[in-house]
Amino acid sequence: MTGATHAPGATVERRLLAGASDGRLETHLAEHGRMPALDAGQIIGMARDAGLTGRGGAGFPVWRKLSAVAAAGRPAVVIANAAEGEPASGKDKALLAYRPNLIFDGLQLAARATGARSAHLYAPQAALGAAGRVLDARRAAGLDAVPVTLQVAPDAFVAGEESAVVAAVSGRAAAPADKLIRVIESGVDGAPTLVQNVETLAHLAMIGRYGPRWFRAAGTPEEPGTFLATVGGAVTAPGVVEAGYGVRLGDLLAAAGGPSSRLQAVLVGGYHGGWAPADPALPVSRAALEPFGAAPGAGVVLALPEQACGLRETARIAGYLADQSAGQCGPCINGLPRIAATLADLAQHRARPGLPAEVQRLARLVSGRGACRHPDGTARLVLSGLRAFEADVAAHLVGRCLATR
Amino acid sequence: MTNALWYFARGSGVVSLVLLTVVVALGVGARSGRTAFGLPRFAVNLLHRNAALLAVVFLVGHVVSLLLDSYAKLRIVDLLVPFIGNYRPFWQGLGTVALELVAAIVVTSLLRQRIGARAWRAVHWLAYLCWPVAVAHGLGNGTDRSTWWLWAITMTCAAAVAAAGAWRLSAGFARLEHKTPRRVARRLELEEVR
Repeated sequence: MTGATHAPGATVERRLLAGASDGRLETHLAEHGRMPALDAGQIIGMARDAGLTGRGGAGFPVWRKLSAVAAAGRPAVVIANAAEGEPASGKDKALLAYRPNLIFDGLQLAARATGARSAHLYAPQAALGAAGRVLDARRAAGLDAVPVTLQVAPDAFVAGEESAVVAAVSGRAAAPADKLIRVIESGVDGAPTLVQNVETLAHLAMIGRYGPRWFRAAGTPEEPGTFLATVGGAVTAPGVVEAGYGVRLGDLLAAAGGPSSRLQAVLVGGYHGGWAPADPALPVSRAALEPFGAAPGAGVVLALPEQACGLRETARIAGYLADQSAGQCGPCINGLPRIAATLADLAQHRARPGLPAEVQRLARLVSGRGACRHPDGTARLVLSGLRAFEADVAAHLVGRCLATR
Repeated sequence: MTNALWYFARGSGVVSLVLLTVVVALGVGARSGRTAFGLPRFAVNLLHRNAALLAVVFLVGHVVSLLLDSYAKLRIVDLLVPFIGNYRPFWQGLGTVALELVAAIVVTSLLRQRIGARAWRAVHWLAYLCWPVAVAHGLGNGTDRSTWWLWAITMTCAAAVAAAGAWRLSAGFARLEHKTPRRVARRLELEEVR
């Protein structure tokens, strides 16, 4: 099922993560030089030719968002989003610590492409001190045409969702909002607003310097470029690694020290992702992961060891996600705890017949019924768990567990 | 069979009137934005909608049975053009007008997501015109208009709608004074940059 269409660029490769990692401006300029002068049309054209997609999870084409905000014809607002509330993800924190200048270069390109008058960095409190010092150095060097303001991202799962980001930058609690009007039309104070993940902006800064053709040398023709992956769970050296899309799962795990024990499955795409088999030849790409209801998303890869119960782990994550609800929408407030509790009953051998069907019924009931996709993502993860650990579901119903025995 | 259609036409007309009355009262209740008639708010909305759809079912039955009935001699054109009927054209024409208003209100409600709240609300206001027109049609056109029970039903309905209308126009009705403050999980509250 895998391997036949393996692209030459689909390998572990350090681009954003290459070179020194002190985060200092001098190091950055010595390595990459100043950004060439590009106009809005050139920036959007390069993003399009490179096939750059958002790295925050949704994977939306960046050039379309840029041109939509630019087409609004009013002064725009651009926001670099480093709020990764997900406990299993660390790539945005790492990028902000090691490569802040790439992010700010990309933010300035996005501001120029959209005609923005103000720019924001939305990041966890812990990261803002260092980021502020980098911005001071850049101001002294005359690098940032559009001034950048800092905004604290609350440490919460849904705080990085686009409309929650807009709410926080507007001075309100970072809760997701209804999508009656898209933020690209009316976001911060009614201005057309561009929210981009910090990794996306760093890639844009690289494309601005080295061009779309260079960018496309990594990844596959359908999904060009590299992505940052946070590899965790049962691996020897958990952490952030970089690879072209389509990289073999085995190569990605090897970049994080390799499996620390025999693996049962991997969670790809994070807590809103899905379980895929721990097949070393499985390409980490949208196309290859789709059959498992998963996607590379924001690059989280969590390895589940053979002796851990997949249902118990899925129930634990579902419980976490239920607790992380913003507390606005009924299906999320009431539905997610019910799903999590029902799945926990199944995982903890408090089984009664009809439990799996009840989980499925609840998952369908909450999907598409929140202001944001938090219920949908949670339902997707839970359904994926029931599929991936189907044999264990049957075992749990008769009081056994295949993994922990 | 002929008589069955005729009786059904009369009966369904009366049932439609009662249901439309319930719909208007519930609609005012739904607009109030609070619990009403001992029901939670979502139930008021749901019952308003379901009662309206049930009223439409009886209205369709009323019209179709009259179309098929050999005595009433209702024509298709009478459903579209008011005041040209064979029997009591004015009072029958009021029925046509009410039917078309109901159709407009139902269609715009089904398309509310597409046409937007403003256009939908404008058309929905026509309900206040539709209901008295329908009542007048029943009293002026109905075969049973001289019976005590039809008058009793009509007066009860009128009293209910009058009460709902008075509530709607009363000073206390206009908007809840305090919108429930928007509360979200505390962990999403903002902090200052340190």
